[in-house]
Amino acid sequence: MGTIAKIHEMLVSKQCSCAELTKSYLDEIEKSNGELNAYVNVTGDEALKTAEKVDKKIASGEEIGMLEGVPMTLKDNLSTKGVETTCCSKILTGYKPIYNATVWDILQSQNSVMLGKTNMDEFAMGSSCETSYFGGATNPFNTKHVSGGSSGGVASAVGANIAAYGLGSDTGGSIRQPASFCGIVGLKPTYGSVSRYGLIAYASSLDQIGPITKSVEDASIVFDAISKYDDKDSTSKGFSGDTYSSLNNDIKGMKIGIAREYLDGVRDDVKEAVLNAAEVYKSLGAEIVYFDLPALKFALPVYYIIACAEASSNLGRYDGIRYGYKTEHYNGTHDMICRTRSEGFGEEVKRRILLGTYVLSAGYYDAYYKKAQNLRGTIVKAFNEAFTHCDVILAPTVPMTAFEMGRAVSDPIETYLTDICTVPVNIAGLPGVSVPCGFNAKGMPIGMQLIGKSFGEAEILNAAYKYQQAAGENFKDTKWGVKL
Amino acid sequence: MVTREDVENIALLSKLFVPEEELDSLTQSMQEIIDFADEINKAPSSDEAFDNINNLSNVFREDEVVESYNSEEILKNAPEQAENHFLVRNRE
Amino acid sequence: MKYELVAGFETHIELATKTKIFCGCTTQFGGEPNTHCCPVCIGLPGTLPKLNRQVVRYGIMAGLATHGEIAEISKMDRKNYCYPDLSKAYQISQLYAPLTIGGYVELSSGKKIRLHHIHIEEDAGKLIHQHGDTYVDYNRGGVPLIEIVSEPDIRSIDEAREYVEKLQQVMRYIGISDCKMQEGSMRCDVNISVRPAGSEKLGTRTEIKNMNSINNICKAMEYEFERQVDLIESGGQVVQETLRYDDATNTTSSMRSKEDAHDYRYFRDPDLVTIHVTKDEVEEIKASLPELPTEKCKRYVDELSIPEKDAQLLTKYRNISEYFDKACKGVKSPKTVSNFIIGQIFSRVETESDKEIFDVAVSPEQLNELVKLLDSGKIRNNLAKATLEKMLDSGKGALEFISESDMGGLDENAMLELCRQAVESNAKAVEDYKNGKEKAIKALVGFVMKNSRGKADAAAAEAKIKDLIG
Repeated sequence: MGTIAKIHEMLVSKQCSCAELTKSYLDEIEKSNGELNAYVNVTGDEALKTAEKVDKKIASGEEIGMLEGVPMTLKDNLSTKGVETTCCSKILTGYKPIYNATVWDILQSQNSVMLGKTNMDEFAMGSSCETSYFGGATNPFNTKHVSGGSSGGVASAVGANIAAYGLGSDTGGSIRQPASFCGIVGLKPTYGSVSRYGLIAYASSLDQIGPITKSVEDASIVFDAISKYDDKDSTSKGFSGDTYSSLNNDIKGMKIGIAREYLDGVRDDVKEAVLNAAEVYKSLGAEIVYFDLPALKFALPVYYIIACAEASSNLGRYDGIRYGYKTEHYNGTHDMICRTRSEGFGEEVKRRILLGTYVLSAGYYDAYYKKAQNLRGTIVKAFNEAFTHCDVILAPTVPMTAFEMGRAVSDPIETYLTDICTVPVNIAGLPGVSVPCGFNAKGMPIGMQLIGKSFGEAEILNAAYKYQQAAGENFKDTKWGVKL
Repeated sequence: MVTREDVENIALLSKLFVPEEELDSLTQSMQEIIDFADEINKAPSSDEAFDNINNLSNVFREDEVVESYNSEEILKNAPEQAENHFLVRNRE
Repeated sequence: MKYELVAGFETHIELATKTKIFCGCTTQFGGEPNTHCCPVCIGLPGTLPKLNRQVVRYGIMAGLATHGEIAEISKMDRKNYCYPDLSKAYQISQLYAPLTIGGYVELSSGKKIRLHHIHIEEDAGKLIHQHGDTYVDYNRGGVPLIEIVSEPDIRSIDEAREYVEKLQQVMRYIGISDCKMQEGSMRCDVNISVRPAGSEKLGTRTEIKNMNSINNICKAMEYEFERQVDLIESGGQVVQETLRYDDATNTTSSMRSKEDAHDYRYFRDPDLVTIHVTKDEVEEIKASLPELPTEKCKRYVDELSIPEKDAQLLTKYRNISEYFDKACKGVKSPKTVSNFIIGQIFSRVETESDKEIFDVAVSPEQLNELVKLLDSGKIRNNLAKATLEKMLDSGKGALEFISESDMGGLDENAMLELCRQAVESNAKAVEDYKNGKEKAIKALVGFVMKNSRGKADAAAAEAKIKDLIG
């Protein structure tokens, strides 16, 4: 049984009250957050208020929904009315949104108990959570290691059982990569299935909100709840049907594809774990097919060009006038804006803004931005073609396991390479789920990725669930957090 | 080839100050990233049209008034405000 | 040397939608600062735009009214520049695939000023600079605009004036904007250059902004034309730059500053999807458009035999032309209707703004009734004129002032009786006529007219009297 279902049963059967449960989560946060640095803002009072509401409902004999009363967390780039939302950037310190992100509207209306906002790379730009203005979240398996990024805080909190689940955002791997590093499940949904309204944009054409959970069934439950059409988001389509009812479908005859390019440059321990997973699938009656996907070679530069271009535009609005940080000393409006931005943004964010400005500027637009857009079309087409050979694609999530804190900061390009297996999914707008598939010699988790067709969430979650059932030993608890 | 002038220009467009002493190292670092990005120009030329991911079109709102927020809410997060306006006070 | 002026216009027109282009906030003019705002139009992080359907429709109407081609596929782009009046640091606009392509505005000379395209975009907020402090109000931020970009086809100040007037006229006709330059709902930027008369090569151009009336546009262009000519004559060179017009001093000055590096880095806005307009939709919108002033004017001249000058007066404002069209229904002589409007009615509707509203005490149906009485010969012109005055004073219909007995000709017997009386009681005039004084007959006819209260037919009376005298 997944964490969410377990909590639901505990509440319904009155094994504990929602307030007691919430308190124990808050206590564990108190104990561990110093070392994990997963939460940047704990909202205990609000959490307890909601918990009491849920308890009243239960006491009065009313039925409660599956997510009702379940203690959870949101990445700090999801807008929460009245609750500070900073993207872990100095430039948004003190900013309290006056509206809710649509996903939070949905979950709040179901009495979700939000424990607080979690750590992330500044504006979701990073792969280790270390570009956060508040310092990086650490890995529950070994706190000398990074949690991954950018949704490192959510992954750390869920991995450490100080949140039952959380929502992150994924622009180039920011849900899947930290989920993989922290030994848990992370689903990046199809572009358009979850509303982006209220998600503070990094790269609008790539960003997508999704669940980070302990188990595949939890990911399915949360995805089914949040994947609604939203008329506030012009790119929203919503997800028709659900994924939960087909989780346990037989996968006999399912064609699982492995693109050789995905295994290039991947560390041996990771490759081995992924190929072992392929064996598990074979034993479940699935068919493994190998194929080539040469377009993947260009995915990483295409991703960085498009993401940075969009980011340079999305981040122009932080000017010290309407919200957030404003510099103390300046001489005129232009000077105020430049100082505010130079002081308010961290180095990685500035680097990406500059790169994005460069590739859009006169004389370079055609060679970089336009060319990258064309290649994006090529990559979309290549995936469509690939899905004529197979139903889902199996790949590593990250070419490596969680590295030690401090390593990512030194070389930007080396750091960018950690995203090589995750970015293609964002470029093509496809769904991808990272599932734990083993541990390396040092006991750090390894994740594999199942990639589906557009709006093929039901298929990849079905395949992931079947794997979880067959290889449950890869889903491990850590020493931290609430023991249910 | 990324030049110092390029970096100065894009910094101005980005409304970011680059201290004189960091200009050379930033130019160098930008050059490395651009070299990496240049990989794409090794790709066979393609005129694959990419529009938007789900090929959506004609997503519209009807022209119906929705109540605005009150100005207190609108100005709530402003670092400085006066007389219902956002304000940039000119100091020094 | 003689120089020729070459100018093109970029005209921004605020659309008369109820709500802003990307959110449901009202577009109403005025209001306390920052009260017509929401998270979307002040650009709060995480908010997303949603395009107002009516903006696209109005844009298509503008394109059709200027003979442009409506793009089947158009897209929204971001124009990036950081300025406090722009809440997102980019303006959502169209560059790569605008809504309408080409088209023209026809001047009265028959010359066509070609349009490059028309696109839709959002307006910026308002900045107030006071003692060096900057106050920002986003009420106008996100109000929908169209930008009409012309080719550099304008060759004189007169053409420039007529171009702007014609645009204003046609956009008001189709009802998409009130085009008030003083209130900023119509704004023109002018690209201007000069070249030796007869030369084909374009000179270096400057762009003038900040003119809030047609007169100021003309004055600014005159000033700038002379400035450029003087510069070239004295061996200098025109620098491509943006100029601000100052109407107090009637001069232009450079707006350039070191802080404004201009490279807008346009790219497709990933938050908005493609606009796809089908041929059927275009046809439907075309059919819904009113008859446009130029076509109307031609029709009045060609089909209704209205003199060109009068036709122009009648078509200047949509309300007048619609009044005229209604008042003309079924009348024999539209010219008579036109004369009543341009004469008696216009004398009571003097200002241009009153003419535009054209709220007249007499309804077009009432005028129609009056003209039909005239057409049928039931009343005479003098009576009609006098009656119209009374109608304009009171707002009442013609029949309130014309009695049954005023109408209809005299019957044969009554006419004969009146003529007899005229001859009998005017012996002197009869005598004079008999002695060859042709004019004396007029006095006799006058007697008949007077005593019939205008109902008699003067020509018939004259003939009858001549008979009686022998």
